[in-house]
Amino acid sequence: MKLADGQTATVVDKLGEGGQGIVYRVRLDSGEERALKWYFISLIKEPQRFYRHLESNIKVGSPAPEFVWPEQLTEWTADGTFGYVMKIFPSGYESFSKFLTAHAAFENVTAMVDAALNMVAAFNALHSKGYNYQDLNDGNFSINPANGKVLICDNDNIMGHGEYSGIEGKSGYVAPEVVRGEKQPDKLTDRYSLATLLFMLLVGNHPLEGARTVQIPALTNKFEKKIYGTKPLFIFDPNDDSNRPVRGLHQNAARMWKYFPSFIKDAFCRSFSQESLLNARGRLLEQDWFHVLVRLKSSIAQCPHCGEEIFLESDRPTVCQSCKKSVTPVGYFKFGKRSNLDVTVPIFKGVKLYDYHMNSSSEDFETVSAVVLEKPGKFGLQNKSALRWNLTTAGGKNYVCQPGAVQTLALNCKIDFGNRDIAQVVANS
Amino acid sequence: MGILDKAPMPGKLCAVIFLLDTSYSMQGAPIGTVNEAVEKILPELVSMNDEQPDSDIKVGMLTFDSEVKWIFGETGLVSPEEVRDSWNDLNVNGATSMGEAFSALNEKLSVKHGFMKEASCARAPVLFLLSDGEPTDDYQAGLQDLKENGWYKYAARVAIGFGTDCNDEVLVEFTGNRETVLHTDNVNELKKLIKFAVVTSSKVASRGKNISTDAENLEDADDNTQKTADAFKAQGSLIDNDDLSEWGAL
Ligand SMILES: Nc1ncnc2c1ncn2[C@@H]1O[C@H](COP(=O)(O)OP(=O)(O)OP(=O)(O)O)[C@@H](O)[C@H]1O
Ligand SMILES: [Zn+2]
Repeated sequence: MKLADGQTATVVDKLGEGGQGIVYRVRLDSGEERALKWYFISLIKEPQRFYRHLESNIKVGSPAPEFVWPEQLTEWTADGTFGYVMKIFPSGYESFSKFLTAHAAFENVTAMVDAALNMVAAFNALHSKGYNYQDLNDGNFSINPANGKVLICDNDNIMGHGEYSGIEGKSGYVAPEVVRGEKQPDKLTDRYSLATLLFMLLVGNHPLEGARTVQIPALTNKFEKKIYGTKPLFIFDPNDDSNRPVRGLHQNAARMWKYFPSFIKDAFCRSFSQESLLNARGRLLEQDWFHVLVRLKSSIAQCPHCGEEIFLESDRPTVCQSCKKSVTPVGYFKFGKRSNLDVTVPIFKGVKLYDYHMNSSSEDFETVSAVVLEKPGKFGLQNKSALRWNLTTAGGKNYVCQPGAVQTLALNCKIDFGNRDIAQVVANS
Repeated sequence: MGILDKAPMPGKLCAVIFLLDTSYSMQGAPIGTVNEAVEKILPELVSMNDEQPDSDIKVGMLTFDSEVKWIFGETGLVSPEEVRDSWNDLNVNGATSMGEAFSALNEKLSVKHGFMKEASCARAPVLFLLSDGEPTDDYQAGLQDLKENGWYKYAARVAIGFGTDCNDEVLVEFTGNRETVLHTDNVNELKKLIKFAVVTSSKVASRGKNISTDAENLEDADDNTQKTADAFKAQGSLIDNDDLSEWGAL
């Protein structure tokens, strides 16, 4: 196979097969290995146009390293087919589908939340480059179960603004307005798909499949349109409980929903409200998800009664789902809002703060910048960052906390983390 | 149990039903080939289930000769793993009671008392028919009943005719679509053809892709047999075949 740059790609073996084509392992003249996606050309509506579309995506380039982006097209063969080469998926990743079939599981809660954050960050990068995905579904992602890193595969249907791939997407992932035929996929409909994927990742079931939908024997197009388009209803809709998860069938939703703190439940209720489902209003932007998920990450704590990892609410009791005992932190750090969303971290032994918290413009949710410590009768915050912190007590006294040192915390004190990002210590009464 | 111990998402049932001719004329190489083909298909169905979280392929298998028997499915559809693990070669015996097979299938394709009892948002079933001859019973009565069955209408229907004695027209009547009836006279090719037909149609039925937004196309969108025909066409030239010697009669 001749590539656009004149090199030849020689097929070594087959890597996989999808609905649109076959993927082969190929060796280039340079000796490097790549994956070659070879289309079933008869399934492509306008091959010439599709070829030009891929050409343009290759020119504009990948939005972020997470995307396994087309690198080069092949020349057209005599019988009018073509393909493109891309990097071969690195090892250590499992397809998202495997997580959903319980053939893969995260090694820890942090990895799971990081996976959600990485998905959101990747889509933010995609959208800010002016692309949209259009065919976002569980087959497009691979995730590393050890660290939550994600890969986004199958990027050939990604389109620029106003372009439309003609691919209508996998039912259950497409936004209701697309299912209803009112709109073509775009950024806003991608956001719906993203919320669906996040729900499936965290909660483990489909957000619209519950008691109402199990009564339908066959998922013909008519019913598919109804469930995902004209009469969609969130399984945890606060105003209508007629589509709740069914015991024994939607096992994860019934069990896992209780694990999540109120702000995550709110975010999902907003994403799948009737307003969002029927009028495309009120959906969370990627930025919103990002802040909500960092908040989730810094709520990870260990249950003091049984040792299980839990998401700890800042300002109210959390019931540990393992031992059913209630846990309430003494108080929490209250940061300035971001994108008009609350940012809080519970004051509880072992809880971590990230670079994100040190600086209101930081999007780094991986670098640990502080850890909450506990001694009998008092709590402290260890400075793991390179910044000098300034603490002001309620009475107006000032303290400086150097990198590596531990700052004892007091009610109503304020901490300036060095970038004028100030947190207030609020006590739970 | 923690938040990481998730159960598999419930997949939507995709029934893959084999109707296999085990009449006496299949004796020898043909039945051996069918046995081999089924053995090859099962792992593919298992891996499809792993890759497609929202579909759950389950298998039913009926043989028809002088009698009609559910080898798998008498008491409900079974997982491809289960079939793989308890698979035993089929044997041949007697006549070709295809009409009776159609009636038996019709009986089972039902929500009230059959495979579809627990169906909830089920995907299109795959109905795969293999025969090498002419029905020896009155197949019309059974077929007419079947054609009234909603699951039959929704299904991806495919058939393979084997050998020179086979009446492919009966198979076309069964699928309702000439393009999903394949034929070969060659035993070596038969194995590949069976695998190709079952795997491709199962992919089409279980994938659940491409919601149709075109209101006039609602009927077409549910024509899973035509979708299978399209997939056959797309992949026909790429049948995984290393025995290229035999082209067959033109
Ligand atoms: N870069 C790659 N490296 C390794 N394997 C790959 C690569 N790209 C694709 N594959 C394999 O090929 C399979 C099919 O690829 P892909 O999902 O892109 O096809 P598709 O026709 O777009 O499928 P779909 O019907 O899901 O849209 C994948 O499941 C994967 O196993
Ligand atoms: Zn506990």
